[in-house]
Amino acid sequence: MEGMMVFTQVANKIQQQNLWKNNTPARIVAFDPTQPEGRVKVLTEGYYSAHSPEISWDGKSLLFTAKQNQNDAWQIYEMNLSNFKVRKVTSSDENYSNPVHLPSGRFIYGLFPKDSVKIGQPLFTCNPDGSDPKQVTFTPNTNIALTVLADGRVLAFDETSSTDKQQNILMVMRPDGTKAELFYQGPVGSNLISSVSETTTGKVVFVESNSETPNGTNITSISYNRPLHSRENLTSGVKGDFQSVYSMPSGKLLVSYRSSETERYSVYEFDPETKTLGKPVFADAEYNACEVALVHNHEKPKKLPSEVDFGVKSGLLLCQDINFLDPNSIKDSPVLQKAVAIEIMGMDSSMGVVPVENDGSFYIKVIADQPFQLRTLDENGQILNQPCEWMWIRPNERRGCVGCHEDHEQTPENRVPMAVKNLPVNVPVHIEKIIEKKISLE
Amino acid sequence: MKISTKKMWILGILIVLGLIIYFPGHKFARAHVNYRTGVEDHPLLCLNCHLYMHSESPITKMMNKDYYSPINLAVSKDGSRLYVVAQEGNALITVDADQEKVIGKIDVGELPHSVILSNDGLKAYVSNQWSDNISVIDLGASKVIDTLQTANGPAGLAISADGKMLYAVNTYSSNVSVIDLVSGEEQKRLDVGNNPTGIQLSPENKILFVTSRRANIAPYGDPVKTDMTLINDSSARITGFMTLESAHMAENVAFTPSGDLALVTLMRPKNLVPSIQVERGFMMNHGIGIFEQKENGRIIQLMLDEPNAYYADPFDVIISPDGKKAFVSHAGVDCISVLDMDSIRALINSSTPEMLKTYENNLGVSSRFVVKRIPTGANPKGLALSPDGKKLYVAEQLQDRIAVISTESLEILSTIDLGGPEKITVSRQGRRLFANAGHTFQNQYSCYTCHPDYHEDGLVYNMASKDMGRNLTNTQSLREIGKTAPFKWNGKNQTVFKQDGIRFSTVLTRTEQFSYPDLDAIASFIMTGIQYPPNLQHNPTGELTEAQLRGKEIFERTVDNNGKEIPVENRCITCHPAPYYTNRMLRDVGTLAATDDSIRFDTPHLNNIYASAPYLHDGRAATLEEIWTKYSPYDKHGVANDLSKIELNEMIEYLKTLSSPDYTESLKNVKHSENTSN
Repeated sequence: MEGMMVFTQVANKIQQQNLWKNNTPARIVAFDPTQPEGRVKVLTEGYYSAHSPEISWDGKSLLFTAKQNQNDAWQIYEMNLSNFKVRKVTSSDENYSNPVHLPSGRFIYGLFPKDSVKIGQPLFTCNPDGSDPKQVTFTPNTNIALTVLADGRVLAFDETSSTDKQQNILMVMRPDGTKAELFYQGPVGSNLISSVSETTTGKVVFVESNSETPNGTNITSISYNRPLHSRENLTSGVKGDFQSVYSMPSGKLLVSYRSSETERYSVYEFDPETKTLGKPVFADAEYNACEVALVHNHEKPKKLPSEVDFGVKSGLLLCQDINFLDPNSIKDSPVLQKAVAIEIMGMDSSMGVVPVENDGSFYIKVIADQPFQLRTLDENGQILNQPCEWMWIRPNERRGCVGCHEDHEQTPENRVPMAVKNLPVNVPVHIEKIIEKKISLE
Repeated sequence: MKISTKKMWILGILIVLGLIIYFPGHKFARAHVNYRTGVEDHPLLCLNCHLYMHSESPITKMMNKDYYSPINLAVSKDGSRLYVVAQEGNALITVDADQEKVIGKIDVGELPHSVILSNDGLKAYVSNQWSDNISVIDLGASKVIDTLQTANGPAGLAISADGKMLYAVNTYSSNVSVIDLVSGEEQKRLDVGNNPTGIQLSPENKILFVTSRRANIAPYGDPVKTDMTLINDSSARITGFMTLESAHMAENVAFTPSGDLALVTLMRPKNLVPSIQVERGFMMNHGIGIFEQKENGRIIQLMLDEPNAYYADPFDVIISPDGKKAFVSHAGVDCISVLDMDSIRALINSSTPEMLKTYENNLGVSSRFVVKRIPTGANPKGLALSPDGKKLYVAEQLQDRIAVISTESLEILSTIDLGGPEKITVSRQGRRLFANAGHTFQNQYSCYTCHPDYHEDGLVYNMASKDMGRNLTNTQSLREIGKTAPFKWNGKNQTVFKQDGIRFSTVLTRTEQFSYPDLDAIASFIMTGIQYPPNLQHNPTGELTEAQLRGKEIFERTVDNNGKEIPVENRCITCHPAPYYTNRMLRDVGTLAATDDSIRFDTPHLNNIYASAPYLHDGRAATLEEIWTKYSPYDKHGVANDLSKIELNEMIEYLKTLSSPDYTESLKNVKHSENTSN
């Protein structure tokens, strides 16, 4: 299968660009681009619908989401690409989405649980046989696993349910769910349409809709080195819509494109250097070609070690200065009042108020695997800053941040935070002692 | 052919014997390797340990190669010649720059560091860091014609504006020798910052800047501060010190041609921040310091790192003749950063002091002035420009090669092979891994970053335990530790394999662990490839002075000054016996801090202890003296409170003479040889 293209074919008009929200029948096919007159090979014969193909780095395994009957829940399947044998990985009445291979050999995927209001749509990892599922994200948001970067971290789509402001947010985290942080934030009105692909030139590309081009979708490129400030629209000069993008070893991109709404998506080559659309590679009058990928052996991402220890019930969070202010952000703002405490907000109630030190630092020990938000309070207990994004901390994880108003590109000052001169404050604050395994000295 | 019954029997017995030996033998080998490596699946390769980990083995010596390891270079005035310091080759290699090939090699002293050409271009001066002297080379005759004495560990060199004086920066003794080039005599010695290396004369020929690598010793929690020393050239006197805040490892300095700015390479360690993650630059950042050369000129620091990519171990900096571009070599990530100087000027001129303060710790600011990163061979160090500024020459230290880069296209034009061994030995591969940040998350630091020159960076870190703010630890030297297991202050790791295996990736590098071949290579290098510098400062001949001999007696005494017998377990010599001055056992010496877990400490070895300040497990003792005057009130760290000040001083003078066993042995051989010849 080396060199073959794999993509999803959808016969009907695509209602929503994001196929993972779609119940339209679809099938996954393979096509040999060196045989342009050839036919596709249907890989998911017999399924009502299948989508989200994801190919392992050695080109030997294909993961996808499928349902055999219309009213079934979406499940994860794995196909051996040498003999096309399929194995069902998950089996439940909950919906699974977008499985991705991890360097450890496990898979990561999204789960749409029945009670998605309370616990959101989190990410899980499991063994290749589906056993030992472990939740790794813990917010009320919708998380979709997209890819594993070369550095070994998982890039995921993060859609918050709590705001009506639409914005494409990509978060990055280690496969064990630790060190989750913002990777990319699109402009207001943007939305992620496709999965993402990391190129050989240090870029990350994906399809995004945004208010700049309300009638179309574009390929956005960001630099891995500096993702928050390197956004570039590669296809502003191309009329039409894109549905997916995949980086090829040659440096060119395989894209799913249509020139107008009346046409079907076909597969094209796109040159990111010249920003020009090349020749069509595959087109079919009956089907849209979406979610295109290439079967090729390439370097496996790094397998990151895990600090998670389930014998430990908590994690540690250190903030250097909640009153840190980026001078660029407050140039025209009045002097802000100094916060003297933080309140940790759980899903249903406050988990307590923790005073911060004179230097603005705090050091807390938080019960692991629970979503929480932080807000800052002044000396009268009044709220200075509304809650930040939902966070969580994994068992035995230790995390640090520079401050509440931090620029995400800011590193800490080299000074001892006053807060670490004392023991961490337990959160929820009413807990006197957290009984857990003691980690020995390194 | 029919096999006879007898042969069948013999074969059968051999097979049975083999099975009897193999299974328990294999089981033993598996258990042995598991213990030594701390994992259960390290390949059973006996040679990796029993051959590559023993430097004195004759086979190891045969297998080792003599690499050149170029570190610095100079270009002749007409651009036709390159003069390359081969640090391990103990030579100055002459290269025809036009033909791009080696045309000569001149043997110099031990571990040469820098080269500078005389103003008339007829001579070269090469600093020999392990010989405490400078080789004077007649370039026409291609031979050493004189040797100039310096203080301890000469590195960077500069020539006075009038061409009459040579300044040699002595790294180990932290001073600068001012040498009269006519008489060849050292005229004076100026005390400068801690562990200095680089030196540069300003374009208007008035001031020399001397960089320091190590920060000034200060209690943990005090800001990290590193000096830049200013010397007036005409008077050869120190005019002042400037401070790089929160930075250290300032290796080299360069002035813009107009003289408006001086740039220095530096690192910004986060040793005061608990080592809880690598993401977001929480461990180490790398950048440049900018010294404005005007009245009330500012000292500004800008990072060269990016939010998801770090450029570890910046070494050299050089500025193009037109002042438009600066080039920085990053030894830890095998690349050269190209900086636009006008963009830097625009940035610093348009920024308020508050903004500049923020930029010191901002990973996005580099995008405003870094125009390109040029990949190079292994471990790029010294830089030199052709006289017309069109070519940049890069000493690729662990590639035995010089890279030639076009300063216009910013592409590699060619490479010049210096003729070192083609084969990369296991230990050499280990050294490459040691010096490369590729095994750390986002290349944030290499082993060399905290262990410069395979020694230690003089800093204390908060990384030993899960609980933040507890268990501070002083970086330890890696020089000649092969026979001093166990490792870590708590003695937790019996072998270097365990030290650098899976736990290393979980708590320090935070990325994929070393592959077993890489782990074996780096262990081999650490165990066999790192030597102490010769202790020329305190023990140049092996013969101790009278004060040092008295100090030795105190160190080895069994009875105190009051005539009372010192308990065996509390005698210096018990825990610190020669030749490594450690009994390799754990001990409580009364130095546990309130923030320490209750443990005993692995007895450190004392060879070359003079070069390892600060002292004790958490670096609280700024000097050897403080170990007893401040931190042993109850004589738990040996009996010393009965000593007079002079006696303590003499014991400390003795401690400073403790050297590598190989060095001590070599001195004995020299002495024996002298006696024999007499």
